Amino acid sequence: MAANPLALIAELTYRCPLHCVYCSNPIQATREKSELTTADWQRVFAEAAKMGVLHVHLTGGEPLGRADLEELIAGAASASLYTNLITSGVGLSQARLATLLEAGLDHIQLSFQDSREEAADWIAGARVHARKTELAHMIRKEKIAFTVNLVVHRQNLDHLEEMLQFIEQLEPDRVEIAHTQYYGWALQNRSTLLPTRAQVEASQKTIAAAQQRLAGRVRLDSVTPDYYARFPKACMGGWGRKLMLIDPFGRVLPCHAAGVLPGIEFESVRERSLEWIWQESSAFQKFRGETWMQEPCRSCAKRAEDFGGCRCQAFLLAGDANATDPVCSLAPERHLVNEIVATVNADLSFQQSAFQQSTLPQTSLQPSAFSQTAYSQTLLPQKVGGRNRFWSYRTNPE
Amino acid sequence: MTNEPEDSSQPRLARGCRWGGTDENPVVLFPEGAISLEGPGKQILEQCDGVRTLKDIVDRLTALYKGSDPEQIRRDVSLFLQQLQQKRIVDY
Repeated sequence: MAANPLALIAELTYRCPLHCVYCSNPIQATREKSELTTADWQRVFAEAAKMGVLHVHLTGGEPLGRADLEELIAGAASASLYTNLITSGVGLSQARLATLLEAGLDHIQLSFQDSREEAADWIAGARVHARKTELAHMIRKEKIAFTVNLVVHRQNLDHLEEMLQFIEQLEPDRVEIAHTQYYGWALQNRSTLLPTRAQVEASQKTIAAAQQRLAGRVRLDSVTPDYYARFPKACMGGWGRKLMLIDPFGRVLPCHAAGVLPGIEFESVRERSLEWIWQESSAFQKFRGETWMQEPCRSCAKRAEDFGGCRCQAFLLAGDANATDPVCSLAPERHLVNEIVATVNADLSFQQSAFQQSTLPQTSLQPSAFSQTAYSQTLLPQKVGGRNRFWSYRTNPE
Repeated sequence: MTNEPEDSSQPRLARGCRWGGTDENPVVLFPEGAISLEGPGKQILEQCDGVRTLKDIVDRLTALYKGSDPEQIRRDVSLFLQQLQQKRIVDY
């Protein structure tokens, strides 16, 4: 038996008023049009709680696009799940916020694209920045945990300090600085978004200084972009180990991106129980354990920490979902990442002009804000105060 | 960086943090994670109700762990609360 999942990511809809260039929703518009019903989701939340799931992360698309969001929150809350709303805020009024809180919402994560209105609206493909700023102040007046999420990339990293100061005056409890992860639309737009090495190094210093300044008031989390890392991220805490994601039509996946992997059939909660899908389905067993691993992962001391990295990235970059994640410095295919990184760091004129040529998400399924590119989770031992185990889930990968 | 609680501080769970899990395995839930608690950590957090003071909590633990150095207990409780405060799980 696999250990129980700890968190469920519920993609309630792919409809979204934003068109962010790094959206994590699928590029291929699915023909499926019929989203899960209120009753479907409520049954799924009850099943998840019974399996030991603690948190449900309500996302999209834009989850506010679901007229039954209040009912879904109430359903999750009555199953004792901790409810987190991951939102662009577009569509949220004072009155609707009150009904969400009434329904039992525990936490709001609001996305920002930039501190500068013009740049933010360009990234979002919609004039939303001014409204989001008003919303942040409105949310802060409520007694609810409030996180601001900011996606960073080559086009905004040079004014990271300005963005941090903008966020600071919104008075969130938490800030997530999320480097763009290269899946979906972000992969399409990678040549525009991938930062330079100098930007990454400067941003790490800016973030460390901000963490000092904000300590005790605001928790600031950030993650190194994995193209510049030596070892891969333990994506989602390992395939089918800690988290599961349900798409708007009921398909259950181990992460946001796994739908790109060929030859895997992802089962639906319309046909199967969540427990069966987690424990028994071939999709969830595919990359559990270590038997699928190739060298150098198979004999690597780090295999139990990072599980060979991300299966989707291995497929997207190396064409083989069983390969070592090419961002690993030990990977036979690391040269692919080196070549991409070298291009970005060599050609400065290209970086400037590319901004105008991005591929904007234009599908009939309106893609979402970036807020949840890929989930990962770490297990942090805590020494003080007994054998207390910390689980920390992030909305951005590490 | 340092923000040590004082004897009169009244620690409480921070906004958006609450107890959950089961009776056998109680956890404190926070926005993107949880702490599974046992031993002194559980005994400390159970008393973080916004009413009891740091001194009350230390006295209680000193009574529970007879023979331990109260100064050491105070340092451990203070450090534990500071760590959780920086994670935005506890406020005082």
